[in-house]
Amino acid sequence: MTRLRSWFLAPSWAVMLSLFLAPLLVIVVYSFLTRGAYGGIIVAWTTESYRRLADPLYLTILGRSFWIAALATVFSLILGFPLALFISRSASRKNLYLSLVILPFWTSFLVRTYAWMFLLRDTGLINTLLERIGIIRDPLPLLYNNGAVVLGLVYSYLPFMVLPLYAALERLDPNLLEAAADLGARPLTALFRVVVPLCGPGIRAGLVLVFIPCLGAYLTPDLLGGGKSVMVGNLIQNQFTNARDWPFGSAASLVLMALVMLLLLASVRRDAKGLL
Amino acid sequence: MNRRAFLATAASLTACRDSRPRLNVFNWSTYIAPDTVPKFESEFGVRVRYGVYESNEEMLARVMGGNSGCDIVFPTSYIVAPMLANDLLAPLDHKLLPNLGQLEARFQAPDWDLQLRWSVPYMVTAAGIAYNRKLVPPPLAWADLWNERLRGRMTMLDDPFDLIGACLKKLGYSVNSSDPAQLQQAQGAGLQQKPLLRAYLNAEARDQLVSGDILAAQMWNTTAQQAMDSSAQVAFAYPIEGYAVYPDCSVILRESKRPELAHRFLNFLLRPDIAAANALVARTTTTNAGARKLVPPAFRDNPTLYPAPDVIARGEWARTVSPLSQRLRDRIWTEIKSA
Amino acid sequence: MKRSGRMLAIYAGLALLFLHLPLLILAIFSFNVSPFTVWQGFSLHWYYAAFQDPELAESAWNSIVIAIVSTVASTVIGTLCAYGLWKRNSPVLSNSLYLSLVTPEIVTGISLLAFYQWIFRFWHVQLGMHTVILAHISFSIAFVVIVVMARLRTMDATLEEAALDLGANEWQAFRLVTLPGIWPGVIAAALLAFTVSFDDYVITSLVAGVDSETLPMAIYALARRGVSPVVNAISALIVFGLGALIVISERLRAA
Repeated sequence: MTRLRSWFLAPSWAVMLSLFLAPLLVIVVYSFLTRGAYGGIIVAWTTESYRRLADPLYLTILGRSFWIAALATVFSLILGFPLALFISRSASRKNLYLSLVILPFWTSFLVRTYAWMFLLRDTGLINTLLERIGIIRDPLPLLYNNGAVVLGLVYSYLPFMVLPLYAALERLDPNLLEAAADLGARPLTALFRVVVPLCGPGIRAGLVLVFIPCLGAYLTPDLLGGGKSVMVGNLIQNQFTNARDWPFGSAASLVLMALVMLLLLASVRRDAKGLL
Repeated sequence: MNRRAFLATAASLTACRDSRPRLNVFNWSTYIAPDTVPKFESEFGVRVRYGVYESNEEMLARVMGGNSGCDIVFPTSYIVAPMLANDLLAPLDHKLLPNLGQLEARFQAPDWDLQLRWSVPYMVTAAGIAYNRKLVPPPLAWADLWNERLRGRMTMLDDPFDLIGACLKKLGYSVNSSDPAQLQQAQGAGLQQKPLLRAYLNAEARDQLVSGDILAAQMWNTTAQQAMDSSAQVAFAYPIEGYAVYPDCSVILRESKRPELAHRFLNFLLRPDIAAANALVARTTTTNAGARKLVPPAFRDNPTLYPAPDVIARGEWARTVSPLSQRLRDRIWTEIKSA
Repeated sequence: MKRSGRMLAIYAGLALLFLHLPLLILAIFSFNVSPFTVWQGFSLHWYYAAFQDPELAESAWNSIVIAIVSTVASTVIGTLCAYGLWKRNSPVLSNSLYLSLVTPEIVTGISLLAFYQWIFRFWHVQLGMHTVILAHISFSIAFVVIVVMARLRTMDATLEEAALDLGANEWQAFRLVTLPGIWPGVIAAALLAFTVSFDDYVITSLVAGVDSETLPMAIYALARRGVSPVVNAISALIVFGLGALIVISERLRAA
């Protein structure tokens, strides 16, 4: 039994070691080196990159990324929960609705972000319609701000919230809600007191699956934020392009990853089984 | 099993399509005439793969490791020194570049490469102010971009050198300044301006200016010219305080396996007729004197691309930033963008 | 109860509309004659422009080739891995897979770029299609493992034992008993891997070479230069193309 299993696991080991762990190791090493005069790396060991990160400027950027990611996550929870509830309750057309939720996800991420650029611009569709109807006279500045970024993030990652919620809600015994109603609970009370606590693992999975990509987002704030607000992903990308400061970028990347891992440890510990 | 074999053969077939020698050229987008590459291919019986990028940084990130597969790239002049320091460039053999004499006098011995040992000047761009003619009085100085009347209706370039450069110029300093005190003041100016801005945009601003989303933008003269081609409402001004000039050059990468062919391509680009065609299509200022004589008079006298001598005198070559200054500038850039 | 049920349905309808409307609008305006958001007439010329652009055609082709090769490789490797882990877990491997899933894309991308550049000192690997394919395989495997593992967990482990009792060896037990059982999961995993690969921008843009521009990279370059209806046209094609792919696969699965 073990021999076949070893053969089966070998290719994955090879890929993980050479294409994931080794590159991470390279980054770890880089984070302790020094930037060359005009970019590149000099082999001179230092912890300077990490010390630079302790600067209030970068801590603010990290804080802002947390805030925007948290907003996007909370909104997607609020928006996604009723949707998941509805799907779990519709007996016959469950697969159709699920496919409809997933379908936008199957399209390009860039396309989805671009769609919002098209809609939110000053001469975009929303403003044009509002002006035509006469509600506003001057176009509303809908694009190039944090709001647009949060909207773009919620739009992109909503399926990631709906699916685990749906998975958890589906396993819920419908009799529980009936029992609650029999005991005199109104629908909303039953919802918050019975349903929500029972799909805790689903909610946690959804929160994790949305929060983490939002934290590391870089395309969405770049395209929808107009370059006016720097998130951690933009900072890292900037270090590898404009600033050509690989050690600093590597250090920032590793700090981001460490935070992500801490979050995961905190959430996984409460569940018996992880995703794998 | 069969499916995999089929896919493998398909993949390998796509690879060995052509046995002619191949040159990999990586250039700025819309920076060449559409028939330049085909002409070169047919004249020399070779294949050219032509890729584009939007910024020096994008190009550098790709070629920094020495394994990008490119033969020729087009860095802006101030990137040549860092590339040289990182051992990325192959020395140029002037014997293979007889057309070098076609270059304008001021580009025969430019200060970033006095003997043209590493680079060949290609086209020149500059950063100035593009605006809508509705604006009266028109914004003719950098200081005008700090004006309340433009709140929410203007953009600046999403580029550290350009943004900090504009702030420095507004304060009366050089765009290449490495004086920490001056740079700090520039940061202050940048922070002051940010609330007035719509966004930091590069080529995207052209579209917004044409459609009327914004009224003024810091823009490169070539992009502005493209906007002006689309709309008569758009105008361009070289700011009174002065502006940064960016000569783009072609270089041959040290990793190139076909240096001789690469030289031939660079020489080809220096031919007056070819250079003229490129300049016309890209709407840029050419560094080629011979080409300048060949372009139609309307283009040659275009004030946006070929300004009067007194305007040229206000311009400053962009220079390589010293490593210490680079870090300070990067921090200032992050501070402003993150505010 | 009824009223809340109906309100829920209305809400769900609005939510689904929210998800699909932007894409529908994008598709509708891809038929607009003018590049601005004022409807000025029906036209297919943006589609013609998209099809005639050789760069776009080439990037689309590259995207497809990369996606197919990396999907096949990652599905095979991932399925085998899921099976092995199902038999007996290996904490290091499963944690690395999980980690690769949650690592932000920008970090994965730059680590691979740095890795390729470092390797270049010993092994003249140039950035190109193969570096992109390897990168895609690396981040797709975790997705495949999750999906196949979920399917494996619903399978009855005793079936394999029964096969072994009846004289089959391990390989036969896997191939003839387990694999057919998890086949829908494998297909679903392959679809997921294909989508993830076709759609990727961040990692691909960092490790691609001169000859391996992909469709997302081409779209990004166009989008950076401003609103272009050609992007609308391509987007509409992608949405409906992938949508059709899904519908077909659902039909096949149900059949």
